[in-house]
This record gives sequence, structure tokens and C-alpha cells, in this order.
Amino acid sequence: MLGAEPLLRIQLVMLASEAQDAALTLARFGIFNPADCTLEALAESPASAYREAWLEAQARLTKLLQQCGDTGPLILPEAAEAPALADLQELNHWLQDAWVSCLAGHENQVEINDALNHLDALEDTLARLERLNVDIAHLLRLNSLLAFNIGSLPATELRRVTEALSMTAHLVTRFDQVGEQVYTVIAGPRARHDEVRGLLAQAGWRELPIPDELRTHPQAARTWLEAERARLSIQSDRATQTLDTLRKQFDPRLHEARLRVALARPLAEAALAGVRGKGGLAALSGWIPRIQLDALRTSLDARFNGRYWLDQREPLSSETAEVPSLMRYPGWLKPFVPMVKSYGVPRYGEFDPALPFALVYLLLFGAMFGDVGHGGVILLLAIALSRRVGRMAWVGVAAGAASMVFGVLYGSIFGNEDIIQPLWLSPMHDPVRVLKMAVGFGVGFIAFTLLVNARNQWVAGRVGQALFDSTGIAGLVFYLGAAGWLASLIGVTEFAQPASWLFGLGLAGVGAYKWFEAKAGLGERMLVTAMETLEAGISLFSNTLSFLRVAAFSLNHVALALAVFALANGLDAAGHGITLVLGNIVIIVLEGGIVAIQVLRLMYYEGFSRFFSGDGIEFVPLSLSPERYKA
Amino acid sequence: MSAYLNTRVSLFRGRLWRDEDLDSLIKVPDSAVADTLVQHGLPQLAAGYDSHGRQHDPRSLEHRIIAQLLDETRVLIRPLSGDARAFLTIWTARFEMSNVKTLLRSKMSDERPASVLARLIPMGTFGRLDNQDLAHAEDVGELLRRLEAGPYASIVRHARRAFEQSQDPFNLDAALDRGYYESLILRAQPLENSVGTSFRSLMAHLIDRINLVWLLRYRFNYKLPPAQVYYLLVGSHYTLPSTRLRELAALESLEAVLAELPASWQAQLSGITDIPGVFTRMEHAAAAQALQVLRADMPDIARAFAYLILRERDLRGVRAVLRGRHLGLGDEDIRLALHRAPEERI
Repeated sequence: MLGAEPLLRIQLVMLASEAQDAALTLARFGIFNPADCTLEALAESPASAYREAWLEAQARLTKLLQQCGDTGPLILPEAAEAPALADLQELNHWLQDAWVSCLAGHENQVEINDALNHLDALEDTLARLERLNVDIAHLLRLNSLLAFNIGSLPATELRRVTEALSMTAHLVTRFDQVGEQVYTVIAGPRARHDEVRGLLAQAGWRELPIPDELRTHPQAARTWLEAERARLSIQSDRATQTLDTLRKQFDPRLHEARLRVALARPLAEAALAGVRGKGGLAALSGWIPRIQLDALRTSLDARFNGRYWLDQREPLSSETAEVPSLMRYPGWLKPFVPMVKSYGVPRYGEFDPALPFALVYLLLFGAMFGDVGHGGVILLLAIALSRRVGRMAWVGVAAGAASMVFGVLYGSIFGNEDIIQPLWLSPMHDPVRVLKMAVGFGVGFIAFTLLVNARNQWVAGRVGQALFDSTGIAGLVFYLGAAGWLASLIGVTEFAQPASWLFGLGLAGVGAYKWFEAKAGLGERMLVTAMETLEAGISLFSNTLSFLRVAAFSLNHVALALAVFALANGLDAAGHGITLVLGNIVIIVLEGGIVAIQVLRLMYYEGFSRFFSGDGIEFVPLSLSPERYKA
Repeated sequence: MSAYLNTRVSLFRGRLWRDEDLDSLIKVPDSAVADTLVQHGLPQLAAGYDSHGRQHDPRSLEHRIIAQLLDETRVLIRPLSGDARAFLTIWTARFEMSNVKTLLRSKMSDERPASVLARLIPMGTFGRLDNQDLAHAEDVGELLRRLEAGPYASIVRHARRAFEQSQDPFNLDAALDRGYYESLILRAQPLENSVGTSFRSLMAHLIDRINLVWLLRYRFNYKLPPAQVYYLLVGSHYTLPSTRLRELAALESLEAVLAELPASWQAQLSGITDIPGVFTRMEHAAAAQALQVLRADMPDIARAFAYLILRERDLRGVRAVLRGRHLGLGDEDIRLALHRAPEERI
């Protein structure tokens, strides 16, 4: 629970012809994270063609399913085998043919829709041209000295096209706009008309085809438009029928294709990490939990009857950064894990902060928002919303309960401190004590994070950093010394002498380490050492002060409640009640939300940033389900 | 944040290559190439050389150079937010636009998805496109429609229209380029207002150079008509605004265009008779301006942008040297390819 599960690196060598079934077996085993194979003797990549074919098939299948709709639930039979490369390629060809057929039908439908839209535009255009009282036939005659173009272009291009055309003595007149398209008439000397063709093509100009029918009497033009619309409607019905026929034709094979693509997925996904081979052999490599080794052997024996070779070893210290982290959490802790993972994944061997995160989060939330009534409301709300928000509701339940516990300790119910006596203290009546407690907690928390960081560095083999860096043991000694010395100064403790020794010792250690680490000339080295040591001190000091917000929010909670009471007391009975209810809602929603975020911020910036690199690799087992890979 | 960026840029400034550094890279023995590159903060490039200084994969040199630039941009962008962050993000999008062009060409030539995917520039955290999905589009039309549903919709929309009407790859490329630089100007405008002349001067040098070189190339190499040339240029409000570009596009020769440029430009371009020469001189002027911004007490984002401009130019120089060495060219030929003005000093 405080670190990743111990893993083993395995190399599974089998016949290349059985690689897809080996990957399928590993995916069904469900606890194998593929990784690049390091066997130098196996220099070829036998699965890359398989992955390529699978990717193409997968892409085409997705597009076809979008066109044809889902084919129903997919159940993979236990005994089903993964397709061989030749089968996959044959399937891919079929999918390509099917997609091209579908695409042609789809494009046909798009073209018909475009034509219908075009007819609409034409009808509008005709109406506008009628209003302009222009004889289109006269305008477009070919023996005129002027050449005319009637058409549309994107509205954003109009200004630039007008400017460019002015260079060739052409005029642009806009007469309509549909969406982002402006309809214009372009007129210019016929002798220079060739000069504008390239420009118009570049500008996305669409000539408005004005058929002969439209160049007659408006009544005749309208009759033609109606006939054209009827013709397109028949075409559209035919296109829909064609697509329906194709869907019916493809449906059974499409379902089978889904099945085969799903069965081929494990080897295709493993190939991404790297499947190596040579001749008739292929090797899959990756990570499994140490305790699962025997179970894996049993699965492989059942499937391959000894036609494989399995090698395993412990992770090397040099490859720690590449080892995935497999974490297992008890059910009650799982809802908190996403909040840790949103910061990052612990490295293999690194301390997993999920457990302390959950405990400290609840402790701080309770301390900053301690109220029996408000906590109870949060708890009930979380229970009420549990169906909708799922497991995350548990975080709300736990935070509400923590708030209630601190409410009892503070003696506060809906901000009212007169109903029960505080079991511990009332923040409003003893603010200095609350502030001291908050800073004291901060010192303890930061000391803990420094200790954890030293442990992480030590485990990772960075002994110097663990012992002497500002975030290691030397930093911890420096910090505790400084904190003790300051505490003595304000009379909280009486350890000024030993604290100053600790402070000096830590400072010397950190300074010496920074000096040793700075690879630069003397001047720059001195500057870097001084600046970085100072920065470490300032950072620790300001991080400690950050915990004052714990006290500030606990005081703020009481102050807000007092403000609500003050407002309510100035109103009549009805106003009093409404103000109390609304005020408490504001406190729960606004202050509760802010406290939840502030606690998260404290955990991330004052805690995680000190010891948690968060750049670990999540253990992603080879699986038959695509969602696992997306995650 | 500001102090962080300022310090970062100042530290990065020390990594820039002086002319003598490039010269020494030409001369160092093969075994010392990797060390020299590491000394100048180019671990991504050094990784491509074995102990004998031979490059394993010449094609991936481009990718490694871009990876280096993206790495450094990532460091500089970290403390930025708002307009400055948006600007540097779109500055890196040039590489992704290059991927878009590669994908489009692959569809025109019916290239296999796996093959084109291997050629795309890895954008890391700056990547905004789903290359896997795009590479598996069946044809150019489907690819353009998918792109139009993505983050570069405003750039691609017009390119699709232009391509649909003409089916000409040149129109597609030209529309993408123009669309990209107009988006860049759009993102730069708030910074020009807030940061001031130092940032504006960098943008002016960049866009004016692009417009002048494109104008000369389209007009005198491709022989396009003036109106089309003007249309293909980037809408600009810098030294060469739209009215000036229209006048220049209407001229009939390179000499006539150069003679109509502002007086200060004419001095810079004196003696130049070809378009590559114009590009080189104007790039020198832009580098000198960037150097001035980098050295002076200017706003942080202006200094960061100036550094990135200079760094990219440096890396092009390093690439020229490494390519030259790889091809076994003589020292003088490599120096010629560098085209660096001797007066530029960091």
C-alpha cells in the first residue's frame, strides 16, 4: 500500500507462428505489462507488419461502425484464437473494400445534400437577381468586352480578393451572403480575364453555375428548380436505400471482423512496446507481479504444452525509471487515488503517497471546516449523490465525517458555538493557539516529506542527494534546527543552543553539497551555491507559513457563520430563517469548495512536490479491452 | 515567473553558436563531434553520433533538431500564460503544419500509413493532432475534413476550398502557409500592444522577410500574375503593408522591386541579384535585430522569442555543418553553405 508491488521482468520466447496466441494468452492472463525486448540475438521485429495491418483494420472498422452502427455486444469465446497475419491482411482488404463502398455511398449522399443546398442558394440568388432587375443572359454573353463571374467565396477572403482584383482592373460586387459564403459578381476586361483564374482558384472561388433554364423568364426558372429538387429527392432516396442494403450486407461479416480485430489487439499492442524475433522464433517481453509467475507458467503450459521458453529476472537498478508501478489499494482508499494520480504516478520503488494523502486530506479538511452541522450536510449529500458520482462519493462521506468530528472538538453546529461545549478548543476564542498548532503541523508535515524524499533518493541509489541535498537529511536537519531556533526565539521551546547547532550543521551540509554539484567556474559556483542554499531556506520557510491557512480557514469558518447570524438578526422572522438557510448553503458550497481546493493545494505543493516525482509509469496490462489502453 | 524566464533566457543565451564555434565544428575530428554538440547544449543531436562520430541515421537529424527546439521552447513556455503562452505555442505549430503537409502528400501519393507516420516530426507535448487517426484517412478529402474538425480548422478550411477547386498541391501548400502566418500575426497582435516595439520589431522582420521572398519567388520564379501573387502574401501591418505589397507585386523585375524597397532595406540588399541572396541578407538583419533584443533589457517574452529565432538559425547552421561532414564536403564548401555574416557575434 505504501509502494509498488514487486515485479519480475520476463522474456517469453515462442514460435513466431504462435506469437498472436501467446499475446492473447497474456492478455487473458490480465497482469502482463509489455516492454521492449532486450534480447540482442533476436534482431527482427516480426510483429510490426501485424501491428500495421491491425491499425489499418482497426481504423477502417471504426469508420465502418460509425457508418453502419454498432453490431451488438461483443463476446469473445474462451477457445477463440487470434488471427494470423495472413488472416488479418485478408480481413483488412475486405474492410477496405467495404469502407470504399460505404464511402462512395456516403459521399454520394453528401453530394446530393450539397446539390440541395446549392438549389436553395440558387433559388435565393434568383430571387435577389430578380430584385436587382438584371438580365443574366445579357450579363453572361460571351461576345461582350467585359467578362463576368457570378459565384461565391469565403467571407473572410472578400477584402483581400477585392484588393488583388483591383490590380487587374476588376470590380467585385457583393450581392448576397449565406453562412460564411459571400455571393459576388466579378466584372473586368475580358482581355485580362486569364490573369484572375489562378487567383480565384486560390481563393476558393465557387462559380455559381447558372443553367440555361435559369436564364429565361423567372416563372420558367422556378419550374426548373422544382423539377430539379424532385429529381434530387429521388436520388437521395436511392442513395439511402443503397446504404441500407450495404449495411445489411456487411452486418454479419462486420461483427466477425470486430471479433477478429479484438482478438488481434494483444499482439498489435505488444508490438508497440517491441516484439523481437529471428527466423521462426518470436519473443515477448514485459513485467508481471512476482507472485504471479507460477500462475503464468500454468496458463502457458495449458495453452502451448511446453512449446515456449520463459526467462525471468529482478528489475535492474539502472532501469528503475522504466519499470511500471503496479499499486494495489484497499477499497476505502481507492476513491482518493485519482487525486494522487492527477499529480503523477509514483516511480517503481518510490514511496506511494496515497495513504498519507487520504489521512492528511481528511485531517486538514476537518480542521479547516470543522462543524457538526455543515459536515453532516456534506455527508448526507455525498450519500444522496453516491449513485451518480460512484466511488468518489466516499471522499465526500469521509470529508463530512471528519468535519463533524472537528465540529465536536470545536463545539460548532452550523456556526453556532452555544449549543455544545468544545471538547478541545474554539478557534475564535483561542486564535493564537490555533495558529501555533497549524504551523506546528506544517513543520511536522514538511519534516515527514523531507524524510520520505531522503528515503526515495536512497532507494533510487542517489545516496549523496539523500544525505546532503536541501530536500534530503541535511535539509531536514537544517529545517528542524531553523524551526527549533525560531520556536525558542518566540518562547515556545527552550532549545535555542542545540537547535542553532542543528541549523549550522544542516546548512553546512547543504552548502557543501550544492558546491560539489555546481559544475562551473569559481565565481558562478559561489553564486549558484549561495543562491540555491538561500532559495532552499526561503522555500522551506514559506512552505511552512502556507500551513497558516489551516488556522485561517478554521477562523474564517466561524467568522462567516457570525456574519450570517448578524445579517439574519437584523431581519424579521421569515427573513431571519431565509437568511440562515441561504447563508449556510453559501458556507457549505463556497467555503467548503474553497477548503477542499486549498487542502489539495497544500498536499500537492507543500507535500508532493518535495518527495514525489510523479513521473512513474503506470502498470498497463495487456488486455482485450481497448479502454485499458486509452486509460 | 518573470525572473525565472529572464534567467532562463540569459542562461540559454550562452548556448548560442558564434561563427568560430561553427568553424571549429567543421574542423573537429569525428570522435569529438558529440562532445562539441553537448558543450553547446545539444544533447539531442549528440545522441545521434557514435564514438567514431558517424551519424547512424541522417534522416533523423531534422527530427533531432526540432526535438531540441521543442525541448527548449518547453522550458521557456513553462512560466508563461495567456497571450505569451498562446504565441509560443503557435510558434511551435510550424512543425505540426509541416506534418500536415507530409500527411497530405502521403495521401496524394498513396503512401502506407506506417511509412508516413515514421516520417512525421514527433511533437511531444506540443502535438495537437491525432497523427494515427489522420494517417489512416483513405484520401486527401477525408484527411482535410478530419483536419477541419481539429485545432487547425481555421487554417485548413480555406486550404480545403482552394484544393477542391483546383486539385493543385501548390494551392494547398500556399494556403496552409499563408493561413499559418496570419494566425501567428493574430496571436502576436496582443503582445505587440502590451510588450511594445521590441517584440513588434521581431515580428516585422519575420513577416516582412517572408512576404518579400515569397513575392519575388512567386512573381519571378513561378511567373504568377501580380494579383495572384499579392493574394498569396501574408496580410501584414509591418514595414511592407498591403498597399506597398500591391505596388511591388505589379513590378516587372527583381531589380525594380529592390529599387522600390525602403531606403534602409536597399542599403542592406545592395549588390544582391538573386532571391536566395535576398533571403540570406534579410535573415542576417533579422538575426541582428534578435541579438539586439536578446542583449538588451527588454521584456522577457521578446527576449525568449529572440532567443528561439537565433537558436533555430544556429541549428540550421549546425545541420549544414553536420550534413556537409556527412557528405564529405570540403571545409570551404561547408562555410559557403553557412552564409553567416562575419560581423554577427554573440
